Amino acid sequence: MSIDAVPAPGAGRRGALFGGRMQEAAMLLPALALIAVFLLLPFLSSFRIALTNERLIPRPVPPRFVGLDNFQNILSDHEFWVALWNVARFTLMVLPVQCGFALAVALILNTKLPFRNVFRGLFFLPAITSMVVVCVIWATLFQYPTGPFNQILSVLSFGMAGPVDWLGDPRFAMPALVLLSAWQAYGFQMIVYLAGLQGIPESLYEAAELDGANRWQRFWHVTMPSLRQTHIFVLIITTIQAFKLFTQVNILTQGGPRGTTDTVVHYMFTAGFVNQRLGLASTVAIILFFIVLIVSLVQRFVVRDRK
Amino acid sequence: MTSISHPATLAPAPSRPVPRDWSRVIAVVAVSILALVVISPLFLLAVASLKPDRFQILADMGSFRAFWVSDPSLQNFRDVWTFSGALPFGRYLVNSLIILFVTVLGGVFLNSMAAFVLAWGRLPGRAVILTALIALYIVPQESIVLPLLTIVNRVGLSDSFTAQILPFMASPLYIFLIYQFFIQVPRDIYDAATVDGAGPFRIYWSVFLPISLPVLATVAILLGIETWNQYLWPLMVTQTDRARPISVGIASFFGHDSVYWNSAMAASVMMMIPVLIFYLAFQRWFVSSFISSAVKG
Repeated sequence: MSIDAVPAPGAGRRGALFGGRMQEAAMLLPALALIAVFLLLPFLSSFRIALTNERLIPRPVPPRFVGLDNFQNILSDHEFWVALWNVARFTLMVLPVQCGFALAVALILNTKLPFRNVFRGLFFLPAITSMVVVCVIWATLFQYPTGPFNQILSVLSFGMAGPVDWLGDPRFAMPALVLLSAWQAYGFQMIVYLAGLQGIPESLYEAAELDGANRWQRFWHVTMPSLRQTHIFVLIITTIQAFKLFTQVNILTQGGPRGTTDTVVHYMFTAGFVNQRLGLASTVAIILFFIVLIVSLVQRFVVRDRK
Repeated sequence: MTSISHPATLAPAPSRPVPRDWSRVIAVVAVSILALVVISPLFLLAVASLKPDRFQILADMGSFRAFWVSDPSLQNFRDVWTFSGALPFGRYLVNSLIILFVTVLGGVFLNSMAAFVLAWGRLPGRAVILTALIALYIVPQESIVLPLLTIVNRVGLSDSFTAQILPFMASPLYIFLIYQFFIQVPRDIYDAATVDGAGPFRIYWSVFLPISLPVLATVAILLGIETWNQYLWPLMVTQTDRARPISVGIASFFGHDSVYWNSAMAASVMMMIPVLIFYLAFQRWFVSSFISSAVKG
């Protein structure tokens, strides 16, 4: 491997400056070379491929330059807009559920609760569970017609509602994915909020208490404003994650039922890998990149605005 | 765990009823219930993996029998571990572990070495490289996988371990995380080592690495979790069982008319166990590493 390129320790004693710089270059090069070949090169070539009709497995006919045809095809493809809309829908649903629950648990863990660290460890467990494993568990929880969710629904509605085919019904498939995704990922937002909460000076709460603010008022007028930066960060990160939604969809719904859970990455995967249309898929990849870029720039802009 | 499920033992003696202590007990009980509800899916998974009958698993799921197994059996694990089951999960698990260890060891080494040069080296152009790396960090993996697949296919690396290791060892994010740690090291430490006549690699290896354990652990944990959970890339790059990781193996249970839930549950437990072991051993480090990955913004 490229590790061999590193000279033996202490090699550059006599060569002074020059030897030292050679060594430095040898230390920097392996990482940079890997990033150049496996990140920069594919990134740049996606812009080239997007302008061609290249296939994943090359055909006898060399790929042809097609200009912006791929962009035109995608922007006029109804399914792409559905996928984009689905991801937006997923984001709008997952943000309040996931971040709200994360904040609630963080607030609980930020009190003088005994065994806080044990609880923090337990609440963080879903976050270290692989999404594939989460899909196995939740597929059985959503089971039609006798899974736990259907039983709970039946009990709560006194047998009036359900059973619901959670992952097979166009109305419920996306909310079901939202629920399992939020469960898997809230732990990350929870510890970010926890770190944010611990950064709020105690003196602010003491001052509010002297002013006669009750617990509710302290939350709205001290905690929430102090968490502004944390909120922005959490919202941006969650949004970016949501736009990359793929694994759950690929395993549990394959974009169905009736396209209601198709996502941008799933659309790209289907176009490029399943249907081999690399040019088209690269175009989607570029669109995804710009979405992520814009969301990140919004964060930079909002955070700088504050300073 | 046991201390949580029996919080009553924490209550003060009845002869001394202090209201504040009672409210603490109630709080602990309430939070315990919430925590148990939240992690109950994981508990259900563990219980179900001990039931060898896949129809029984589904039938039990809708009732409280889901939380209990009357005659626990390791049959599912025996099935998925050997080839007697539908898929060779022993092989997948070993594949995943190989990919994990090589990626993490190589990644920590290469990223920290590069970070050292960027932080303390005298090479010209370091600032430019650093800026370029930060800019590249924003590129999501999802938007490069297809061109990457053509590159990997062209150099004949498809369906290999190398294709799952090399692309993810070096990473702008981890170089940057370690860089931020290195630049906070006091100048005196670097100067003292230079006066002794040590070259850059020597200073990195015997002075900087030993004092950087926290950040190296952070990178190892984040890179480890990321590698363990890879799905989209190995789904595309592995065509046979040769280098297929356990994540793709488990996912292949789905998509058939009837899922072998017993095997899927056992395989999922097998996928969780290595993570759980590391998590229990280094819990504080896990949490703090996730925070530092967040703080970088």
